Amino acid sequence: MYTITDKKVLSPIDYFVEVEASHVARAWKPGQFVVLMAHEKGERIPMSVYRADDGKIGMFIRKLGKTSLQIFNEFNVGDSLWSVAGPLGTPIEVKKYGTVVFASDAVCGHAENYATLRQMKEAGNHTISIQSFKDEEDVYPEQFLAKSVADEHYITTSDGSVGIKGNYLDVIRDLIEQDKVDIIFAGGVLGTLAKLAELTRPYGIPTMTTVRQIMVDGTGMCGSCRILYDGQIKFACRDGPMFDAHKVDWEDVLKRETRFLEQEKLAKEMYLKKINESHGKEVV
Amino acid sequence: MAKIIKERVETPERPVEERTKSFIEVNLGYTFEIAQKEAERCLQCPANYAPCIKGCPVHIDIPAFISKIKEGDIKEALRIIWKDNTLPAITGRVCPQEDQCEKVCVVGKVGTAVNIGKLERFVADYAREKGIDKELLEEELKKIESKNKKVAIVGSGPAGLTAAGELAKMGYKVTVFEALHEVGGVLIYGIPEFRLPKDILKSELDKLDKLGVEIKKDHIVGKTVTLEELSGEYDAVFIGTGAGTPRFLNIPGILLGSIYSANEFLTRVNLMKAYKFPEYDTPVNVGKKTIVIGAGNTAMDAARSALRLGSEVTVAYRRGFEDMTARIEEIHHAKEEGVRFEFFLNPVEFIGNENHKVKAVKFEKMKALDERDSRGKRKIVGTGEYVTLEADTVIIAIGLEPNKIISESSGFKVNPDGTLVVDEHLRTTMKGVLAGGDAIRGEATVILAMGDGKKAAAAIDEFLSSGEPWPDEIKQVSF
Ligand SMILES: Cc1cc2nc3c(=O)[nH]c(=O)nc-3n(C[C@H](O)[C@H](O)[C@H](O)COP(=O)(O)OP(=O)(O)OC[C@H]3O[C@@H](n4cnc5c(N)ncnc54)[C@H](O)[C@@H]3O)c2cc1C
Ligand SMILES: Cc1cc2nc3c(=O)[nH]c(=O)nc-3n(C[C@H](O)[C@H](O)[C@H](O)COP(=O)(O)OP(=O)(O)OC[C@H]3O[C@@H](n4cnc5c(N)ncnc54)[C@H](O)[C@@H]3O)c2cc1C
Ligand code: SF4
Ligand code: FES
Repeated sequence: MYTITDKKVLSPIDYFVEVEASHVARAWKPGQFVVLMAHEKGERIPMSVYRADDGKIGMFIRKLGKTSLQIFNEFNVGDSLWSVAGPLGTPIEVKKYGTVVFASDAVCGHAENYATLRQMKEAGNHTISIQSFKDEEDVYPEQFLAKSVADEHYITTSDGSVGIKGNYLDVIRDLIEQDKVDIIFAGGVLGTLAKLAELTRPYGIPTMTTVRQIMVDGTGMCGSCRILYDGQIKFACRDGPMFDAHKVDWEDVLKRETRFLEQEKLAKEMYLKKINESHGKEVV
Repeated sequence: MAKIIKERVETPERPVEERTKSFIEVNLGYTFEIAQKEAERCLQCPANYAPCIKGCPVHIDIPAFISKIKEGDIKEALRIIWKDNTLPAITGRVCPQEDQCEKVCVVGKVGTAVNIGKLERFVADYAREKGIDKELLEEELKKIESKNKKVAIVGSGPAGLTAAGELAKMGYKVTVFEALHEVGGVLIYGIPEFRLPKDILKSELDKLDKLGVEIKKDHIVGKTVTLEELSGEYDAVFIGTGAGTPRFLNIPGILLGSIYSANEFLTRVNLMKAYKFPEYDTPVNVGKKTIVIGAGNTAMDAARSALRLGSEVTVAYRRGFEDMTARIEEIHHAKEEGVRFEFFLNPVEFIGNENHKVKAVKFEKMKALDERDSRGKRKIVGTGEYVTLEADTVIIAIGLEPNKIISESSGFKVNPDGTLVVDEHLRTTMKGVLAGGDAIRGEATVILAMGDGKKAAAAIDEFLSSGEPWPDEIKQVSF
């Protein structure tokens, strides 16, 4: 039984969920993710792991469509998820690099930011965390930020209401100019990751990014998550999801996110309608 | 000697109009009466001669079980089949009998071979309906003497399930580790409901449950637990992880959004029940014109599933009709249902539209030479002529290879094609670890996987009871 042991609101769009999944927690390493199903008729959806301790895993989830909304609305502490499989994917190499940056501008990235730097710091690196949000309201509560594991921590907001105005690319540009960076890890919005790849390419700074793709099994069995990497077909779930950003064919990666847009929209609308009818109130 | 009845008693099938709109099973199987009529056609060749027994990969005593059908003793018929095959309801439906037992049946020399597959299926189905299989299982349960040893099985396809059942019957404590959230391997995620109803699989799983087999789903061996950990904790390990990774063509357009591997398409449709979207959450997107590339069972299953989801379907194959590897019954059903076939077409490019979806496939026309390749197929060459066929959905079914997770996470010796190296007892290069099914053969068949599961169970029993040392060198056996 994958019982939910904690659940908290992070921002108007994101929430935190912790579930019992000792089989995953014991083996998980940064860079790896899980695939979960909320219920028997649910979809298998991949989720990054924020932390894995004491037989439990914590995740940050964004309310995007049917599944993420359903977990938010209907699954509370004490309830169980139908399936949690993992850890999946290839762990990143934790070792002493010197100065390690993790930059994130969305939910999965923020989870990985903490997870990665926590171990990078233990491995003796100087850790720099950059976390980008839209505005003040979207900034996570302090305990869920990567502050505690970062030697330097930056927040950026698009409107400048908290921290630096702009996004993590602006901070990284500065850091590069100060010649401070040995390796950059990043996760979040794919479009920003593609820009990051272009930003660091001329400097030859090693840049590892999470290439999120639509997945089914998460084990290398279906090829839904295939990408072109260095001209070769790779499976994001098995060969990644962290890849050298300079070798990823970003154009296709960005386009493949929209494969099931119509169905996702339909499922979300139907779900919201159902919820609104049963509660008589608006959710999201 | 009795007169040979040349014509088969055919099994009833659902009418085409009905089946193209639903996923319910196409072939309805024999009733007791017609099964007995078909059984009458068997000449009861003596066991030491009967070609069908030799033609069967697991050597079921076919004339013996058919004779029990004639007598109306289905329990005995099942007992005879179970000696060599514990999943007859499944193999009766999916074995390529026309290449195995039925290919060599004596009756087939003057007429149509005895319908061995459908008789096997009849025995299993009838026994299940009447609870006869449970009675037989109860009898077997009573004989089990529990041994104080534990065996881990990796993968719950036909190879793993068979090994699990056999070892449990020998008294071992068995735990199955499965990566997915459902048990059955290809039987659950690949082969569609209209060929193999999932209830049948459920009933097989009930039997394993009665035998005390423990199943751990959501466990990816190599990730969740390592093989080294399993080896340490269990007295022996059997690997039946199949050949689950789809091959893609690295040609322009392969990343377009409406191109699926057959595995993705079938997993969405069968395992995740996307054909019931939005009742089930997983989507699948099938347009008006689907092209399926390939010619095996996987291609037929994908084609017929796409058809049922409302698409026009064309199967395009780079070789000719006679080179197709699918079961003849499936090709026949596909044609009946309106799937079109194009031969000697090799895809060279997928042409996309502004939404990153396919709009057409460009093929090179191929031609066959008289020369044969190592597998006995005619060699083909390009002609330099091209055709373009319109399509909004493409399903690629050009083959599968073993998933690297298991081999890369442990120090196994693997062959160049990714299959694990095993000797004639199915022993791998890791002590106490055996393997079978598609993981060692590449894409093969359910019955061969099942046969390997049974053979490995016997080898594990031998290893654990004899205390014989593991060989230092494992020489790859040839299949
Ligand atoms: C390696 C990896 C790690 C991820 N980590 C997180 C995380 O930590 N937190 C988080 O909120 N989200 C994460 N995601 C994305 C998450 O899986 C999707 O947001 C989720 O599937 C949305 O489901 P839905 O039903 O709520 O929305 P839907 O309406 O079904 O989809 C909304 C969008 O999510 C994406 N998506 C949909 N289905 C899938 C799928 N099966 N696999 C991958 N993406 C899909 C698509 O881009 C889609 O447009 C991760 C994805 C990957 C590949
Ligand atoms: C669509 C399709 C149709 C087919 N039709 C026919 C047919 O009509 N007749 C026929 O005889 N054959 C058919 N075949 C082939 C047949 O299904 C296979 O030969 C057979 O299933 C192989 O059995 P297996 O037990 O070796 O592996 P599989 O059935 O592939 O099962 C392997 C299992 O292991 C699991 N696994 C993999 N890696 C791990 C891991 N690291 N940890 C834990 N679990 C893992 C997988 O999730 C899977 O459940 C078909 C195949 C396909 C794909
Ligand atoms: S070869 Fe044909 S006729 Fe002979 S025993 Fe087998 S099924 Fe019967
Ligand atoms: S999600 Fe199926 S292969 Fe990656």
